[in-house]
Amino acid sequence: MREVVVISGKGGTGKTSFSAAFSYLEGKNAVVCDCDVDAANMHLLLDASFDNQKDFKSGELAIINPDMCTNCGECFEVCRFGAISKEPNFHIVDDISCEGCSYCFRVCPFDAISMKTQKAGDIYTSDIKNGAKMVHAKLGFAAENSGKLVAKVKSEAKILALQEDKGYVITDGSPGIGCPVISSLSGANLVVLVTEATVSGLHDLKRVYELTQTFNLNVVCIINKYDLNHVVTTKIEDFLIKEKVEVVAKIGYDENFTKAMSLAKTIVEFDIDCELSQSIKQIWEKIKKRLQD
Amino acid sequence: MKIIFTTKGNTWDSHMDPRFGRAEMFLVYDDSNDTLQEVLNSETESMEHGAGLQTSKKVLELNADVIITGNGAGQKALEILKSVDAKMYVGAGDMSVKEAYDAFKSNKLQLQF
Repeated sequence: MREVVVISGKGGTGKTSFSAAFSYLEGKNAVVCDCDVDAANMHLLLDASFDNQKDFKSGELAIINPDMCTNCGECFEVCRFGAISKEPNFHIVDDISCEGCSYCFRVCPFDAISMKTQKAGDIYTSDIKNGAKMVHAKLGFAAENSGKLVAKVKSEAKILALQEDKGYVITDGSPGIGCPVISSLSGANLVVLVTEATVSGLHDLKRVYELTQTFNLNVVCIINKYDLNHVVTTKIEDFLIKEKVEVVAKIGYDENFTKAMSLAKTIVEFDIDCELSQSIKQIWEKIKKRLQD
Repeated sequence: MKIIFTTKGNTWDSHMDPRFGRAEMFLVYDDSNDTLQEVLNSETESMEHGAGLQTSKKVLELNADVIITGNGAGQKALEILKSVDAKMYVGAGDMSVKEAYDAFKSNKLQLQF
């Protein structure tokens, strides 16, 4: 089992479109894993069934036992989030404002406060339209993606891939270079960087590339929408040559991506014969070849 | 010499865990008395953020001479680990603990710092 992680630094470069297309091409031999949980949308392209739900627990919430509360107000004094308010006979915590920092829990002289683990969202193992399996998550209101959630989603996907003897795990990472991205990179056999010909595309490519190199990861790059700005594309290519990163494809701006998306289809399913789909097939073959080296 | 392996199990045949910060567990091998000790790291795996820092702390407490892992530590963890006199070897993510030890002994692993 080999794992490919698709990331970009900048959002909107085409990560999910490419990952979904790779997954569609590889069919049942791949488990797909959507780690971009803040803005999960891959399930739309792959028609996920939302089966096999599991709770995802993360973060804590303070709870004041009104029977033990003496209304001394020490918790109110220390709360930095304005989450505690005074009732006539006891204090009370507002669920939404509480950040779970445990300060009140530590200062309460009467042990009237307890910390309770919160449910932050749901993790699903779904069937998708090409007969393969996908692991993904849905967050609750005001919950945020974390390294913990990504690690959980990835570990479910890997266990599934090993149990069912699949060839690949295809992971769609999240934008940025923070904790969830670092977590999505862990254990990757190959990282596919997707960039685009914009100033921020190049800037964020450099940042995320640097991150992959702290972990000594193998990387290849796809330059998407290269014809938007030839000057930037040249700069991107110069950077990649200097860093000895293989460019597996340069893809022009193509409205077929958007057309396919509006029909909730991956591009290779929308029109397998179009130039774009053919390029994506070649990219996937190149990636698989790199994974065997 | 004390060597820390990031692993997914507690024997020489167990798989290495390529992750440093969120490694499932450590195996600590002390070649002066040929002992293999298991140190769990599960509470770090379940942290939302800051797993690398927490794991580094644990590594410092174990006072090892060598750390063997897969992808290596991230930037924040590296800053801490560099402050002690330990060496970190990477590239053992796809091996068993025994294979990783042999690769280390025959200088086949890459030094991260």
